[in-house]
Amino acid sequence: MKVLLVDDSSAIAKVVGEMLKEAGFSHERAENGKVATEILSKTNDFDLILLDWNMPQMDGIEFLKFNKEHNLTKAPIVMMTTENKPEKILKALENGASEYIMKPFTQDILISKIQTVTSKAA
Amino acid sequence: MSEKIDGKIYKFFADIVFKKTGIYYPERDYYRLDSRLEKMRKQFKFETIEDLYKKCSSLMTIDMEMYLIDICTNNETYFFRDQKPFDALTKEIIPDVMSEQQNIKIWSCASSTGQEPLSICMSIAEAGINKPYLLDASDISEQALAKAKSGIYSGLDVQRGLPIQLLVKYFEQEKEGFWKAKNEIHSRINYFKFNLFTGHFKPNYYDIIFCRNVLIYQNQENKQLILQSLFSSLKDGGVIIMGAGESLIGIDSQLQQLNLKSGIVFQKKISKQNVA
Repeated sequence: MKVLLVDDSSAIAKVVGEMLKEAGFSHERAENGKVATEILSKTNDFDLILLDWNMPQMDGIEFLKFNKEHNLTKAPIVMMTTENKPEKILKALENGASEYIMKPFTQDILISKIQTVTSKAA
Repeated sequence: MSEKIDGKIYKFFADIVFKKTGIYYPERDYYRLDSRLEKMRKQFKFETIEDLYKKCSSLMTIDMEMYLIDICTNNETYFFRDQKPFDALTKEIIPDVMSEQQNIKIWSCASSTGQEPLSICMSIAEAGINKPYLLDASDISEQALAKAKSGIYSGLDVQRGLPIQLLVKYFEQEKEGFWKAKNEIHSRINYFKFNLFTGHFKPNYYDIIFCRNVLIYQNQENKQLILQSLFSSLKDGGVIIMGAGESLIGIDSQLQQLNLKSGIVFQKKISKQNVA
């Protein structure tokens, strides 16, 4: 399982990266949505995208809209954000997110959500 | 360094838990009482667990007994735990096994903090089942019941097992970080305190009983006792849904195994006209 982790916070990327590694998943990091689109236009072998909402240059929602338009990846996209208002969650789902992880979360939540969406996508 | 607990202290508390709940802590599992007794010591402000033991062995207050039962019952639960029982309920049991049945009576008999009965309500609603149903939910732990009755869950609780689409559909944001089950599911559940070991069971009443991950904490004799009581509480043709990996092996029961696509359930079959 290969995950593209899109988050501008290096501290969060480090912690989440360790959680993924412990669960046996490999990952690559993109610092924002724009970098993620660049990575995905070159390689498309990711099984899952973990996507922060608030990022510079291109935020999570902008990334979802861009992906919808340009069809960069069919991998399930899981939002991972502090934004926890129902209207925000619905906005992400309407724009193509498959699941949603609200910060703070634990490793068991992260891994079980990943497993659920990837098993549905398989 | 944590206090080394004497064997007689473990036995004293393990015996009380066993007598009150049927939950069995064999000697090899006494270590599982360590953190629980430590928690109880802090709660009742004793210097040592030995002091707590001395007080309890001379006069144990109702408060102390309730607290011990609360912390020694396993309240670990999450939404849609194991998923298959909910598929069995909505895809096979209600539409097929109970196709003739009107007004289905369901009992989540160890409902802990409420995730199981709420998952039952959401499953039925999502499956588009319009049959009327009654849903009872009980637990021995007052703490767990209080949370279940409030219907309020933390951000972590609602991320365990609950798909995000169902969170936004069936819950509303209560205050920062917390979520409350909407009335359309929460108010369907009748919560009450019930001890499966000593309670009075309604005879021939339920069509479906969820009894998951309860019997694994009981010894053989008590498993038998609880299953007999559950059996008496089932209507003819009714089913018991047990936890993944739980079985009736070694139990003398009149329940019959019913192999469904979504898993195994156990059915009370007495009269000839029962559905298969």
